[in-house]
Amino acid sequence: MKIIACYKWVLDEADLKVEAQSRRLLTGRAKSKISEYDRNALECGVQLIDESGGEVIALTAGTGGAKSSLKDALSRGPAEAVFVKDEIMAQSDPAVTAKVLAAAVRHIGEYDLILCGEGSSDEYSEQVGIRLAQLLGIPVVSFVNKVQVADGVLRAERKLDGGIEVVQVQLPAVVTVLPDMNTPRIPSLKQILAAAKKPVKELNLAGLGLDQAQLTAKVRRQTVLGTVMERKGIRFRGEAREVVQQVLTVLNKEGLC
Amino acid sequence: MDFELSEEESLLQAAVREFAQTEVAPIAAEIDRNHRFPEEILPRLAELNLLGIPFPDEVGGAGADYLSYAIAIEELARVCASTAVIVSAHTSLGTSPIMDYGTPSQKEKYLHDLASGQKLAAFALTEPGAGTDASAGKTTAVLEGEEWVLNGSKIFITNGGYADVYVVTAMTDPAKGTKGMSAFIVEKGAPGFSFGEKEHKMGIKGSSTTPLYFNNCRIPRDALLGAEGQGFKIAMHTLDGGRIGIAAQALGIAQGALDAAVKYAKERVQFGKPIAAQQAIQWMVADSATEIEAARFLVYRAAWNKDHGLSYTKEAAMAKVFASETASRVAGKAVQIHGGYGYTENYPVERALRDAKITEIYEGTSEVQRMVIAGTLLR
Repeated sequence: MKIIACYKWVLDEADLKVEAQSRRLLTGRAKSKISEYDRNALECGVQLIDESGGEVIALTAGTGGAKSSLKDALSRGPAEAVFVKDEIMAQSDPAVTAKVLAAAVRHIGEYDLILCGEGSSDEYSEQVGIRLAQLLGIPVVSFVNKVQVADGVLRAERKLDGGIEVVQVQLPAVVTVLPDMNTPRIPSLKQILAAAKKPVKELNLAGLGLDQAQLTAKVRRQTVLGTVMERKGIRFRGEAREVVQQVLTVLNKEGLC
Repeated sequence: MDFELSEEESLLQAAVREFAQTEVAPIAAEIDRNHRFPEEILPRLAELNLLGIPFPDEVGGAGADYLSYAIAIEELARVCASTAVIVSAHTSLGTSPIMDYGTPSQKEKYLHDLASGQKLAAFALTEPGAGTDASAGKTTAVLEGEEWVLNGSKIFITNGGYADVYVVTAMTDPAKGTKGMSAFIVEKGAPGFSFGEKEHKMGIKGSSTTPLYFNNCRIPRDALLGAEGQGFKIAMHTLDGGRIGIAAQALGIAQGALDAAVKYAKERVQFGKPIAAQQAIQWMVADSATEIEAARFLVYRAAWNKDHGLSYTKEAAMAKVFASETASRVAGKAVQIHGGYGYTENYPVERALRDAKITEIYEGTSEVQRMVIAGTLLR
């Protein structure tokens, strides 16, 4: 089985600081990381290969900075990586990202399964996997927390608000995964060192037959501001019955009940 | 000059940090409280190649360098100094001398199992009457036919009782002083080899520290490590490398204490504002961070020298004395920042303070490190 696991190289939210007055995000000292749910997608691919053989190709599209992600991704089990590098990805929206990934997938050629995280750690638009499937003309299964593959058929459990839905789909297909699907492995030192020896294919937009005009993001990010949770610090005192009443009054005033 | 870690080193740091946070930190306080050796963590350490970091792939190691080893020890010690010293004693004290001085057959017999973490190693030099003055050892080894017969005792042996393989020094010709000391590989279970009770220590309580007893302990003739009379040299060379591990451990303890202090200072409100807004707290944090950064450069520099085949005796001694004393100062300040809560087991800083002290003592006291440094300057 040939699996393509897509991932995004994002700023580590743990390193982000919010400027107190303007609420502007301070990203100067933030490191980057593989987006959380995409780590689950990579792990899912590697586990499927461990069970039934084949190979996982890690695929990412990003600016030059995303080059730092390749060894990280490869240390997690994929046999090779494909990196579409273009500065346009800094202004990308989900539609543009999906177009670039679809072109890269076509460039890779044959495949059985494409795995994506349900959403990225930074913007969490939950669109790329679905758009990618539409562009490739193949089925997509979203909100997946369990998969099995047998005889070219994928059986997936979708974790939805109302319960678990079990679906079957003929491969090839795109699957977008949830974080409770697995625990991404911590790579061993040998796996980290071996990652440097794995092949990486670097592509550019021209090489994929894409031009800038096709890749103008329709969504423009105006500002990104941090949210600040302000606590009201209200204390309730008295008998339990009175306190409950006081709490209800306050919640009512806030329009919360 | 380049102050950035390589991609591989950064990935290794991130991997060990994640492992430490998710699998070691949750048991750190408990193993300390119960004086419990965390046996369950050893298979995971082996799986992640953390028990053979600086040894080549061919002998079962990770094939990384000493700087990577120092980074890994730092990250482990940041959450658990006991786990860090288990790894450090196994790697730089127990396994390194076999890597550096073992015969091909000794390497074949022991190295793969040790470097891959299937077995644990320890190093036994210190004796009741021979601490800093290691040459005053009374344990003897006498060749009888095809066997060495060891008699005597060792004390304060890290990984004692849990290690499978021990590198043990003994006098083969006491009249020659340090030149009459030899090193041996002794397996757990050798006839006449036994362990005493675990020491009840002030800190690093999750690690095992025991005496070793040799009572007509018979080991094969080919258990001699290196040449006869080379034991003191092997021990001193081993300790040079070991000091980098302990310096890295101290660095991690300091960083962990500062992490906790910064978190607490931002959360703890007194006089209507977080105590982080008080200059008294800010200065303690600033001084601690500055000392830690200086310690880190010393530790990484000593490891870098070793990786590049340069002399590192002085650098390792400088790293150890500075990092260990930094750990004690920073942990002390971290307790101070926490106030009364810092003096309880509810916060990790009291453990850090207890753990830090030993780094000023073992693998050469601070006084010995200063002797070593001065010795290289005033020679």
